[in-house]
Amino acid sequence: MSTINEEKSALSHVRILDLTEGGCMLGGKLFSDMGADVIKIEPPGGSPSRIPPYYKEIEDPQKSIFWFAYNTNKRGITLNLRTPEGQELFKKLAKTADVILESFGVGYMDSLGLGYKEISKIKPNIIYASITPFGQSGPKAGYKASDLTLWASGGFLNDCGDPDRAPVWIGFGPQASFFGGAEAAIGAMTALWYRSRTGEGQFIDVSIQESTMSSNMNVLPMWDVNGVEFKRVGAVSFVAATRVRQPIYFKCKDGLVMILALGGNDPYASSSERLVQWMKDEGMCPDWLAKLNWWKDYNAAVLKQDLADKVGQAIEAFTMTKTKAELYEIGAFGKYKQILVAPVSNTRDISEDIQLKARQFWVNLPHPELNDSLPYCGPYIRMSETPITLRKRAPLTGEDNRKIYLGELGLSDASLKALQDKGVI
Amino acid sequence: MNKKVFEGIKVAEFAWVVVGPSTSRYLADHGATVVKIESHKRLDTNRINGPFVGGVPTPDGSMFYGKHNPNKYCISIDLQHPNGRELARKMIAWADIVTESFSPGTMEKWGLGYEDARKIKPDIIYFSSSMQGRGGPHSSYAGYGQNAVNFSGFSEVSGWPDRLPSPPYGAYTDYVSCRFAAFALMAALEYRRRTGKGQYIEQSQFESSLQFFAPPVMDYQINGRIMGRNGNRYPLAAPHGVFQCQGDDRWIALAVMNEDQWQSFCRAIGKPELAVDKDFATFADRKRNEDALEKIISAWTIKYSVEEAEAILQKAGIPSNVVEKPSDLYKDPQLQHRKYFVPMDHAVMGKQKYEHQACFILSKTPRELYMPSPCIGEHNEYVFKELLKMSDEEIAEHLIDGSITSEFTGSMTSSF
Repeated sequence: MSTINEEKSALSHVRILDLTEGGCMLGGKLFSDMGADVIKIEPPGGSPSRIPPYYKEIEDPQKSIFWFAYNTNKRGITLNLRTPEGQELFKKLAKTADVILESFGVGYMDSLGLGYKEISKIKPNIIYASITPFGQSGPKAGYKASDLTLWASGGFLNDCGDPDRAPVWIGFGPQASFFGGAEAAIGAMTALWYRSRTGEGQFIDVSIQESTMSSNMNVLPMWDVNGVEFKRVGAVSFVAATRVRQPIYFKCKDGLVMILALGGNDPYASSSERLVQWMKDEGMCPDWLAKLNWWKDYNAAVLKQDLADKVGQAIEAFTMTKTKAELYEIGAFGKYKQILVAPVSNTRDISEDIQLKARQFWVNLPHPELNDSLPYCGPYIRMSETPITLRKRAPLTGEDNRKIYLGELGLSDASLKALQDKGVI
Repeated sequence: MNKKVFEGIKVAEFAWVVVGPSTSRYLADHGATVVKIESHKRLDTNRINGPFVGGVPTPDGSMFYGKHNPNKYCISIDLQHPNGRELARKMIAWADIVTESFSPGTMEKWGLGYEDARKIKPDIIYFSSSMQGRGGPHSSYAGYGQNAVNFSGFSEVSGWPDRLPSPPYGAYTDYVSCRFAAFALMAALEYRRRTGKGQYIEQSQFESSLQFFAPPVMDYQINGRIMGRNGNRYPLAAPHGVFQCQGDDRWIALAVMNEDQWQSFCRAIGKPELAVDKDFATFADRKRNEDALEKIISAWTIKYSVEEAEAILQKAGIPSNVVEKPSDLYKDPQLQHRKYFVPMDHAVMGKQKYEHQACFILSKTPRELYMPSPCIGEHNEYVFKELLKMSDEEIAEHLIDGSITSEFTGSMTSSF
């Protein structure tokens, strides 16, 4: 376990109190991996975000892989914010902090006397980010929400799925909360910059609904500009103007690949030509396809559905003779370089990916209490002067109580014991 | 009037398409000066792909491009031309931050890479974003978020267990990647403020995107489990899904997250007996009989309009939401309340609604959209004269030798 090199850390001078749960915990991780001192506060007994999957399938909150993933480099304490003593301790901590991140419901922290208004009285330059489903005010501020319903509220759920079944979310569910957590972190960094110029803190009102919306890509303006109401299309590329569905996913020997077999303009048309060349070289290209002009005959303006389907079938007859790895390695990097091909990877493929290994992406962190060391996703970005480092696994519940309450807030052993007995810590 | 947060911060944006432009929007929407460096000879892909105002493709008519570039200036120079690269070096000298997203090696080939840039501006913060990062066997990989969504694992786990995947629409990973990049740029600014040092920020969009997918990958590496597809179900809740209502392709998403909500849900759908039914009473029962449970719910939702169903369930305290279509979003009262869409007058497209990139509102320095997306080369005069202090004669020379581009002669044929 290495310690942080403060000289080489962008944010080692910044302290964060992290009260977020679920996917929103990613926000604190952006800070902690960048070198900030992030104190994750859990209720006594442990956070509700210690959810599956579990280490070696053992259902134990201290073995939550989800928790591990989003709390690297954080310190952990327990504190019951619903008790008067807990509230006083939180205020003491707040005086030492630069940023508070929280994802409780609208008004909850206010009801405890720990909202921005109260905290800014005792720590005037505090930066206080609240992540809520729809923001602090407005007609839906009181709506009950979950990751799935938020995915629906921002429109991206409507974009995805097969047209003959229900819209479908991204199978690993907390995506909406991840966006909310990330937006809170960016908002807090923005506010830190403002504070460095003016000395002033401020309140940050994050809406998860909004946070999911940029992913809609071109779908919203399709409606506003052209009156085309997008309907989910499944695994094809959709031409909004003509509603032609261009096949881009193809079965192969051991799974599925995407090939952006499109025309009209580059880089697509040239990529498609290289694919056709490959098919020719292997004697698997029908004459009509060899003669197809990808610029003129296969562009979105003139393309008809029956030609798109015919091309798709011919390509799939070819891909069925290859594996995902062959299509990817030869198509994207080998002889036919830069065919726009991507394997549909599962979690094993990702774990074995040679590029991630070559860049030494996976980082092993020791878990002494498990007598094991576990693989983590490495830095989210690479920085030459202030590298993001994974220094320490996520905290166990209350792991840093003594260090922070005794060492930093100056509590005595006896009073810590008393607070623990009363369920405050 | 408060100061703008990033007032005085200058960004030279060589990056194009989605990731780089979305990243710099976080700075632009809080007051930074962002200048896009484009060329008539090689249009930003987003200028070629619609939707186009009036339905006719033109370089300045795409709201797909528009969405990613309000609050920015745009100059047009030819980086293939040595005198164009001279202008690029001037932009680097002017800037605090350079962003680029060419295939790795391209900027270096032009003498505009990080090592070149820091000779021009020693404390420059230089951001390179690519699909799979510098170094390694797949460094040269060219593609879009549409590619990355597949090799990052999102496609495989999305859709129905009895069918092939239903991949997330479009360039999903681009909208994940830009968040990490924006945070990193601001952290680099903070480091420079304290130490005077710039730095090189290098992004593999693959590695950034995996942060939104880490637990399933760790689950494989630790437990050997390969994650599959399960529609809209979620291991910790039942019912949890998307159900059809009356009307044309109208759906409601709902999630019963705990026992209290289950009791309330049963009453709300007029079936209080379900709460004590041996097949559905406990969470374990509901998981075991999830198919049957979903049939019961579908039979209820189909009797209502999606708005009615949402109102009934919200009143009962059940997480629920209309699956909003684009037409719903533009009239969503919550988005209106937060002024998420901002109408601005574009020189060619007319009045258009722009979306905020920052999804947070700062109490003292709120996000602000004040300038529509630029036409290509729209700010040549302003940038070269006012920002770079070039003389009319110098500018004229660049126009004559073609290193400032002014005419588009290529194809606007769209690929999708």
